Amino acid sequence: MKKLIPIILLLILISHPAIAKNLLLGEKLILANKTLVSKINAEPDKYVGQRVQVEGIVIEVCAARGCWMDLSSDVPFQKIQVKVVDGEIIFPMEAKGRTATVEGLVEKLELSHAQSLAYARHKADEQGKKFDPSQVTGPTKIYRIRGLGAVIQ
Amino acid sequence: MKWRRLNYALHRDIGYLCIGLTLIYAISGIVLNHLSHQFNPSYTIEKSETRIKPFPSDIESDMVLVENILSQLNESGTFKNVAMLSPNKLRIFVEGNTIDVELTTGKIKQEKVTRRPVLFEVNYLHLNKSKGIWTYLADIYCILLGMLAITGLLMIRGKVKTRGLILTALGFIIPIGFLMFSL
Repeated sequence: MKKLIPIILLLILISHPAIAKNLLLGEKLILANKTLVSKINAEPDKYVGQRVQVEGIVIEVCAARGCWMDLSSDVPFQKIQVKVVDGEIIFPMEAKGRTATVEGLVEKLELSHAQSLAYARHKADEQGKKFDPSQVTGPTKIYRIRGLGAVIQ
Repeated sequence: MKWRRLNYALHRDIGYLCIGLTLIYAISGIVLNHLSHQFNPSYTIEKSETRIKPFPSDIESDMVLVENILSQLNESGTFKNVAMLSPNKLRIFVEGNTIDVELTTGKIKQEKVTRRPVLFEVNYLHLNKSKGIWTYLADIYCILLGMLAITGLLMIRGKVKTRGLILTALGFIIPIGFLMFSL
């Protein structure tokens, strides 16, 4: 009987609704109002350090660790990245194409030229693309959301 | 002595209880150990490129266009969503497939993602993706592993005493030695 317990637990967890339906990740969403991604992108410095709730289509997910995802904006061709602490929240690959509501803190990364090169190399590696150092010409600023909680529909 | 019998019984029964979970953590431990951008332990990711008939630059991105592209690709999976990445680049999300389309050239990049059978589930548990109750179950498992080690240690006696001590010592020496050389 005791030997069956882990198997029973495994079956229960595999059939857990979180795997199939609305996926709740991390902290509960507490904000009543959503902020448009386009507004954050237009004036990012205004939002740095603020907790915001955004919504968009998940257009990309970190394939290695599920530690970030890109959300589409309300304005065409725009997006915003949601980064989470590795392991704290793991975005599943199945999230791609689904609508996500995310809450987190807007943060600003100021990268030196060397850091920008390393970042670009890392991104290229993640996406299986060839790294082209000539594309990085100097220091860069990155605005993104430090994800605290998310609901993927 | 009575406590030795109790210790033996505990070691045996905890051992039985831990078999399933140990196998889960062992299998996922190996694959997660080799996680890289080239190897996703939970999903199979197949990337491919192809071409379809190009579209005029002023074409409207609507469902008719999406259906046209999916039909040209013989993609019959459930449609999820569509996003414009740039004026010329469309990303179509179908269940298990992400399709990037360069409208004016007809260049297509597909990324098909499928869960690795068994590995997805064991990694799901190992990485504690569900959080909640599994956090506590995994904690209990860790405590049981600790008890397994302690009860095992108390069984070192008699004819196997020397062997037991040497092997136990090795279990400490290997990680400590590694840390001494690598830190």
